[in-house]
Amino acid sequence: MSCASDQVTAYVDDVLDPAARAEMEAHLATCTDCREQVAFERELKAGLRALPIPELRPGFEVRLRRSLAAERGRRYAGLLPLAAVLTLLVLWARGAAPFVAWELSLDHAHCFGQDRLPAKVWSSDPLEIAAWFDAQGTRIPPVPSGVAELGLVGARYCPLLDRVAAHLYYAGEERRLSVFVLSGPVRFPDDWTARSRGNHVRFLRSAGMTVALVSDKQEDVEVFRAAFRTTVASRY
Amino acid sequence: MDRERFDTEALPYLKRLYGTAYRMTGNPADAEDLVQETLLRAFRSFDRFIPGTNLRAWLFTILHHVRTDGLRRAMRAPRTEELAGEGPAVPPPQEALASGGEDLARAIAALPEAFRVAVVLRDVEELSYGEIAQVLQVPLGTVMSRIHRGRALLRAALTGRKP
Repeated sequence: MSCASDQVTAYVDDVLDPAARAEMEAHLATCTDCREQVAFERELKAGLRALPIPELRPGFEVRLRRSLAAERGRRYAGLLPLAAVLTLLVLWARGAAPFVAWELSLDHAHCFGQDRLPAKVWSSDPLEIAAWFDAQGTRIPPVPSGVAELGLVGARYCPLLDRVAAHLYYAGEERRLSVFVLSGPVRFPDDWTARSRGNHVRFLRSAGMTVALVSDKQEDVEVFRAAFRTTVASRY
Repeated sequence: MDRERFDTEALPYLKRLYGTAYRMTGNPADAEDLVQETLLRAFRSFDRFIPGTNLRAWLFTILHHVRTDGLRRAMRAPRTEELAGEGPAVPPPQEALASGGEDLARAIAALPEAFRVAVVLRDVEELSYGEIAQVLQVPLGTVMSRIHRGRALLRAALTGRKP
């Protein structure tokens, strides 16, 4: 082959296919010029790598990281209005009756959906249940021990999304009812009732407290409400 | 957007980017500006970088973009005609590369930028021809010819041999 200096460069960089490479090696054995080019290019690589690069000036990396942090701030600044809207939405929803009804219905289904009720105190005696809550700093209004086919079985505290509620369980044959005593405000018109996730939810005000009744059977809620009113009235 | 991922994966290339930026610009201050802008741009578009693909080539591609944007803005964009010109303004012919590196530094600085960048990416950064084609966004054949021509011009500058 005759001298092809671009092929020599390709040979130095090892990008020739095996046949071209073999041909180049045969040529190099006989050609001083091309051998010199190979030697130069190899030396050049080493020489270029050895060339000094000035050090980055002190503080450059700090300034760079600061710029990156500022850049990140700018990226998230665009999301601020969205965050503000979400915050307002949560603030509005907290305490709004439909939102609380949804939370309670969810918790009612959760507790009664388990193989065994997750009560922390087991009793059919309202006074015993009240004493248990009282010992933990929660006052609950007087409640009946049973209504129609529903009987008090136990209670516990249940964490909701925005508060903790005292949760009293009433159960009977194929019947379940929850009484929630809520801390914190709930905004609802008098005797507000709702359906949420297949359950009936009714809010009551009793002795300055907010009480909610939850059951999948509307008649149980209504019967319990009447009995509850009577119980409260007889105690005060 | 994962800030930590950027810090741990991209920032380690800082010094290498700076080395190439220094060869592109010829002075530390401009090189730092170039690297800073490169990493800011990379940061902004890091969510478009596909993990597991070639981060180094991606960063050098951005470096090249920032550099050519800057040159274009300064109305000094290198033109193809210039590349095929008479070759660099060279120091007097020298015997060899082994003269302390000063002649080599001068010669590489005097090389037209398109050749200089191709040679630096290949010989210093050890990018493959394919990676260089990606970085410079030119065909493989152009990469080969720029590297070849760049080395030939350096040889001419350093040894007085006609390219």
